[in-house]
Amino acid sequence: MGIVHGDQMILNIGPQHPSTHGVLRLEVKTDGEIVSEVKPYLGYLHRCFEKHCENVTYEQVVPYTDRCDYLAAMNSNFGYVVAMEELMEIKVPERVDYIRVIMGELNRVASHLLALGVYGLDVGAFTPFLYMLRDRERILDMFEYTCGARLLYNYMWVGGVSHDLPKDFVQICLDFLDYFEPQISEYNELLTYNKIFIERTADVGVLPADVAVSFGVTGPNLRGSGVKWDVRKDEPYSIYDRFDFDVPTGTGEFGTVGDCFDRYWVRMLEVKESVKILRQALKDIPDGDVHQAIPKKIRPPKGSVYRRTESPRGDLGYYIVSDGTPVATRLKMRSPAFTALSVLDEISRGWMISDVIAILGSLDIVLGEIDR
Amino acid sequence: MSKYFTNIYDTVSTLWTGMQITWRHMMNIKRDNVTLQYPEERWPRPERNIGFEHVDYNVIRSRLHVDIDDCIGCKKCERACPVNCIKIDTIKAPNRGEDIPEIKHTGITSNDTSKAMVVSRFTIDMSECCYCNLCTYPCPEDCIFMVGGPNNEKHNIDYEFSEFDRNDLIYQFSKSITPEQKEALQPPKKPEVKA
Amino acid sequence: MTVDLLIDWLNTIGDFPVLAFILAVVISGIPLFLVMALNAMVAVYVERKVSAFMMDRIGPMGQGPGLHAGKWGLLQTVADAVKLLVKEDTVPESSDKVLFKMAPFIIFIGAFMGLAAVPFSQTLQVVDFNVGVFYIIAVGSIGVIGIVMAGWASNNKWSLYGAMRSAAQIISYEIPAGLSIIIPIMMAGTMNLQELIHFQSGSVWGILPNWIIFNNPFSFIAFFIFFISAIAETNRTPFDIPEAESELVAGWMTEYSGFRWAIFFLSEYANMLIVSGLAVAGFLGGWQSPIPGLFDSGAWGLFWFMGKVASLIFIMMWFRWTFPRLRVDQLMHVCWKVFIPIAMLNIFGVGIWKLIFG
Repeated sequence: MGIVHGDQMILNIGPQHPSTHGVLRLEVKTDGEIVSEVKPYLGYLHRCFEKHCENVTYEQVVPYTDRCDYLAAMNSNFGYVVAMEELMEIKVPERVDYIRVIMGELNRVASHLLALGVYGLDVGAFTPFLYMLRDRERILDMFEYTCGARLLYNYMWVGGVSHDLPKDFVQICLDFLDYFEPQISEYNELLTYNKIFIERTADVGVLPADVAVSFGVTGPNLRGSGVKWDVRKDEPYSIYDRFDFDVPTGTGEFGTVGDCFDRYWVRMLEVKESVKILRQALKDIPDGDVHQAIPKKIRPPKGSVYRRTESPRGDLGYYIVSDGTPVATRLKMRSPAFTALSVLDEISRGWMISDVIAILGSLDIVLGEIDR
Repeated sequence: MSKYFTNIYDTVSTLWTGMQITWRHMMNIKRDNVTLQYPEERWPRPERNIGFEHVDYNVIRSRLHVDIDDCIGCKKCERACPVNCIKIDTIKAPNRGEDIPEIKHTGITSNDTSKAMVVSRFTIDMSECCYCNLCTYPCPEDCIFMVGGPNNEKHNIDYEFSEFDRNDLIYQFSKSITPEQKEALQPPKKPEVKA
Repeated sequence: MTVDLLIDWLNTIGDFPVLAFILAVVISGIPLFLVMALNAMVAVYVERKVSAFMMDRIGPMGQGPGLHAGKWGLLQTVADAVKLLVKEDTVPESSDKVLFKMAPFIIFIGAFMGLAAVPFSQTLQVVDFNVGVFYIIAVGSIGVIGIVMAGWASNNKWSLYGAMRSAAQIISYEIPAGLSIIIPIMMAGTMNLQELIHFQSGSVWGILPNWIIFNNPFSFIAFFIFFISAIAETNRTPFDIPEAESELVAGWMTEYSGFRWAIFFLSEYANMLIVSGLAVAGFLGGWQSPIPGLFDSGAWGLFWFMGKVASLIFIMMWFRWTFPRLRVDQLMHVCWKVFIPIAMLNIFGVGIWKLIFG
């Protein structure tokens, strides 16, 4: 932490604190309310994900990926299976691709709803949080209906998915979307356009585009800084190139480009884009057998693969080294939340303690993914 | 100066909009209420209408159960488990496919497979289980499954299991077998040959 | 039923002035405490229900007559109170123990003293001062000492932050509140709460009751400034930065538990009652009926007063469960750059209005 001057104080935010989004400790050097340095300490949730993956077979890795980004477990699975299929050169049936996109986008909506709601909670508004969780619950119900689990799905397998969609899933999902779309404007009226909320977030914690790029920040945080980068668009995987959707970027509507409000607002717009993708996918989904391409024994050829996908938090990359056995030699996960947390010190200097909480919330970190 | 007053106007109007929304929700609580009063009310559990008809597939994930009479001791589930919460010990049966009444061992499964192994230990530590469902797919006899849902006729749903002692969460599925009976089942040891 | 009347009556029984004084204080103090406790219990229950309904929940349902029968959780606050009373009383090892134990009582004394001057009805008021308004504003600041004491004595950084924020906030917001409550005093020409309420009898333009809030546009604005400043003084959302749960864990109350925490809680709700009572007495006609001349006497006074206070407390809850929280500097901005200039202009405007129309 360096030298603490006489009028400065070190404040430990966490690991037990209401708004550290998990078990994170921030060592904050403050002068009164003004923060001069923020140092995050990790490792409170470290579960040796990467080491575990070197000891279990490839199918058994999938439940572990669930537990990294537990708020978007479908997207975590998605990234891993896409990387594995690239390594093994498996072509999955079209229906599987569609199911994966539907599940991934539904989980993106669920994850963003939690991020937005908790952000409201961080700046003190309780009610929007519960409205958003109420709607997230309906998405979780759909997941439970499909695969039996609500949070940690183990749904996507290498070469397929564990269960086919229920017969009336398309109708249920469309009903949900019809219900959900008007709710977005209610969230906006209740929270986004609230003057107090704007005052709290606009112009606060500005992350300029060049800093974001140099720190490797990705996902909505990068797009909030005005950089149009989305793996789904720029490096399409699965069948994302078939869908028509926009990549929203921060415009500095109420303050500067790259402030907390922009990061929040990009997420809100992304929810709308996800709804757009979902409608297209539900319309086009073909019939077929989802278990066709699942290999009996996963034994990838010697070699390595790095594949990144767009999780709700940004570029989620898997680097897999195989030596031809059923167990990976090395499995590395590039976590988007980790890079997002690393930029916290840079953008929260000179702001107040309340702002540090607001900035941390706007980065939308998941500690399970940071510590792995 | 005009910005000062627009600011005040914006604040008042946006706050008023928010207050209208919460007021509407409060007035329509009968319609909007989403709370489920848990012990009295429960969600309907997902049924088996998932389109994909296959006996191996369970949609609900509540608790693992083993029909031990059908278990042939192949240990496929043990190997599939990513967290090693299933522990199986087997002893080679004296005669393949024959009942051993002393330890209530049945020789033939319901799928007419004759068992070559006596399962002397089959424990699942539900406090370690990660509910990934991976163990249920490789089972050749469909004897390990998540209870409830499609398997309702085999075992009723049970997701409210809590214990005061952590050891009580280790479920023992194999028939009780005393060390003497175990000893009797072991093949006689070969006399050690001195090198 | 003022304490003076009680002393006079006790003096007629026998000649023991000191004992009569003590007896009178105790006799009028106990109901006051009961009002405080009952207010907190009802308000907590209502707050939980209101917040739940606003969030599409139904709030506490279990503890009711016939446990777990689901009679709307009517006994929830009783259960809460019992829980708080039997909880272990923890005092941190490195705290300043004397100050730590004293702080809740100082806050309680501040709230209790304020409650003594609230005019519940024509006759129901413990002390009928000639400077009632001034007195309530003055004893309202006693609580700050308790808060700063609690924050300092806890020897906890969160508590210290909460206490410093709270002190800054309460002291600042007393200024717009005081400047706004001057307007009823200017118009009625008295600081006595009963006389202030009597001034508001009758009706204007035949329809509206002659309450000060409806008297002129300046007093209309003054009411809102006073009310919002009062919310800030009671540390409630959107001005709850001293106990901002997402930033400061629980602010100056972080280290408190059990009975001492319950006293903080009691005082918070009593403070809500006091500031709402002052707003009602100063701007909304006190115990006067909203329909001039109808249901205007006796126990109806108490009913109208409590009804108005309850609706103001409801608005406070409504605010709390709708708005995000302000930041410290924004809070000061609102106070010094918005409320105080407008309140000053209001005083000027009311003066002119009184010259022309009064």
